[in-house]
Amino acid sequence: MQKIFNLACGSFYALGAYAGVSAVGWYVGAGGPPALFIVPLVLAGLAVGVVGLVVERGLLSFVYDRDETFQLLMTFAVVLVMEDAIRMTWGTSPRSTGGLYLAYGQIRVLGATAPVYNLIVILASLVIALAIGWLLTRTAFGRIIRATADNRDMAEALGVDMRRVYAKVFTLGTMLGTLGGALVIPATAAMSEMGIELIVEAFAVVVIGGLGSMRGAFVGALAVGILRAIAISVYPELEMLLIYLIVIAVLVVRPRGLFGAAEA
Amino acid sequence: MGAAAVVLAVAAIAAAPLVVSTYHALLMLPFMAYAVVLLGLNLLFGYTGLVSFGHALFIGLGAYTGAFLTTHAKIRSLELILIAAGALGALVAAPIAALCVRYVKIYFGMLTLAFGMVFYTFVLKFYRLTGGDEGMPFLRPTLLGLRLDAMPKIDYLVGPYYYYSLAVLALAALAMWRIVHSPFGLCLKTIRDNPTKAETLGIGVTRYRFYAFVISAIYAAVGGALLGPPTGNVDPTLAYWTHSGNIVFMTLLGGFTSFFGPVVGAFVFIYLQNWVMSVVPYWRLIFGAMLALIVIVAPEGLLGLVSRRRAAPAARA
Amino acid sequence: MILRASGLTKLYGDFLALDDVSLEVDAGEFVSIVGPNGAGKSTLINILTGVTRPSAGSVRVRDHEVTGLPPASLARLGVARSFQLVQVFPDLTVLETLQAAVVARLGRGRRFFASLARDREVQEGALEVAELFGLGDERHVPARQLPQGDKKLLDVASAFALKPEIILLDEPTSGVSTADKTAIMDTLVTASRRVGLKAIVQVEHDMDIVFGYSDRIFALHQGKVLADAAPAAIRADQRVMDTVVGRKAGVSRAPAC
Repeated sequence: MQKIFNLACGSFYALGAYAGVSAVGWYVGAGGPPALFIVPLVLAGLAVGVVGLVVERGLLSFVYDRDETFQLLMTFAVVLVMEDAIRMTWGTSPRSTGGLYLAYGQIRVLGATAPVYNLIVILASLVIALAIGWLLTRTAFGRIIRATADNRDMAEALGVDMRRVYAKVFTLGTMLGTLGGALVIPATAAMSEMGIELIVEAFAVVVIGGLGSMRGAFVGALAVGILRAIAISVYPELEMLLIYLIVIAVLVVRPRGLFGAAEA
Repeated sequence: MGAAAVVLAVAAIAAAPLVVSTYHALLMLPFMAYAVVLLGLNLLFGYTGLVSFGHALFIGLGAYTGAFLTTHAKIRSLELILIAAGALGALVAAPIAALCVRYVKIYFGMLTLAFGMVFYTFVLKFYRLTGGDEGMPFLRPTLLGLRLDAMPKIDYLVGPYYYYSLAVLALAALAMWRIVHSPFGLCLKTIRDNPTKAETLGIGVTRYRFYAFVISAIYAAVGGALLGPPTGNVDPTLAYWTHSGNIVFMTLLGGFTSFFGPVVGAFVFIYLQNWVMSVVPYWRLIFGAMLALIVIVAPEGLLGLVSRRRAAPAARA
Repeated sequence: MILRASGLTKLYGDFLALDDVSLEVDAGEFVSIVGPNGAGKSTLINILTGVTRPSAGSVRVRDHEVTGLPPASLARLGVARSFQLVQVFPDLTVLETLQAAVVARLGRGRRFFASLARDREVQEGALEVAELFGLGDERHVPARQLPQGDKKLLDVASAFALKPEIILLDEPTSGVSTADKTAIMDTLVTASRRVGLKAIVQVEHDMDIVFGYSDRIFALHQGKVLADAAPAAIRADQRVMDTVVGRKAGVSRAPAC
């Protein structure tokens, strides 16, 4: 929405993941009932999203007027800083919450066994997606965001405080990233390369779905997820390769992605 | 930068192995390799206005070409390796460039990033061919036909290999200087400054961007090949996207508006990184902060600052 | 015949910017395209210079069908243009800008290793055009530092440096003070003779300039051709004068010709 391609969004995701692990670890250590572990997880995820505000106010706000290249490089700077910041705080070996997520048990769905936790995450992401959609279309704030995305100067002329809007949007985006990272943790593990690896996937999602479209991001994520699953079961070596090739194909055939706004 | 400064710099680099410690002399080797890469990258960045986030692909390509030739094809001639690297770089760059130059700015960056990662994944996954994440050995190449296998590794690297690299860098710089000051170079600058107007003057923007891309890929591949022998091994991380980001960082650090800026950037980056790592392992944190600072305060890099300070008194005259 | 546009139509969604517009320009002609804002003048110029494709119709340069060709190809076929919102190369000096045009004209763009500084033809060609347009003293000034009027001149000069057959000028005197307008136009006319230019087409709002320099006036209104005739006939046509000039009866000064 801000038309910045944020290379650091993967880093925020990783931050959320690590914070989540720590929060859950502390919670369990403090004797909390395993069934409620999801609470500190989510809270941690949301809390560290505040980092987004710091990044936006402290760094990005200086480069909004510059060439897109410099904005991109600025987010790359954030990637570098966060990579080491995470390493400094949590070390380099993978962290996880162990088998805690099985506390919710497993169920049989469509002939396969899946942990209930995974279904909870899917449900949660659907709820969040709908909430964002509602925010954008039904609230005044949402309208302001869309107007700003469409025509920044006009919105400013109409009295919208750009700095506040950008700060809020970026922070919200960051929080979603950190929350996502936290939620995913129980099913996988937090690794130091998480951030920089994710960005390529995230970028694939955005390209396929289209820059600047929420619906596109949703569809794109779905597409990438499904494609990966198919690739893994059919021909594991090709997994990410297939994704990248599709990204390239999309950029060539329909650079706007499936739902994106034209720009090139 | 004045001609005198350049001559002095070359002399200093040439004298280095005799004057500084072996450790520091060894650091000069990746510097020279990156300098070659960056000379090419800046043709694309500073002179044509395109930022590629996937050039590590060509560095990796050049490195793996050399490794493959020495290990599997039993070809050890560095001359042949460099030529092969350059040729392969051009070959692979051509279709990629043909596609990417039709897009601008952020789409270009994204496309190049995607291609870079395609190559990375390919190298990583097809381990039977490439050795996967362990990489491939790059055996000691022969220099101008001289097989120097008997020499102890350090002596080889700080001696003949050092001066060979310097010669390659000097030739590469000379060639790039001529390119930048040629009619072709002027056309590139017009595309950078105002592609619409360049078109109306009869300069085919896409076509010239294509040439610039291919030339920069050749340089990156040659530089990549030079990176191999010092460590004796090449691995997929050479092609990872953050590596592409780092070389763009180096270019920005030294200054993309001047010819030697990126070379200075490579030097500062390598030495600073080395020094920082000896004190604390978190060089990325510091460099990230540095990059942010540069972008905000001094986007024209170190050499840009120097020329700004030199210009100020002149303006008052 | 230098340029012939036939039946040009341009649709932007539902909006008809041009409706069956035909224009023919012969050697030796100075044609002014006039019309109120939104009449389709810029669209016409953009189609004639390859920036936009027409929805229907064709454009021929001499005997070549050039409809839909990109600007670079048209430039090489002898069609040059200048811009309404002045377009320069900000970081290139006046001389470098003109050199680029000469390089393009001579087809030397692919000389990767040749020395630009030692290319006598390019150097002299660029200098000649610079002096023709009175920019000789500023030849080493980066375009971004030039005063607005000189930027305009540079934009036009670089088009002239292509030694084109025909040049299309999009409001060459817009943004220029009245005192400078005639100076620019006179420079233009002198330059065109020196460069061997065969025809000039300009979009212009200043009717004094239009009547002062044109051989023919081409009036557009709401995408359609309103009139296509010599200045005297246009001046006598009240309907055209009202549409293009407004309710002011006639021109305020006698034209120069």
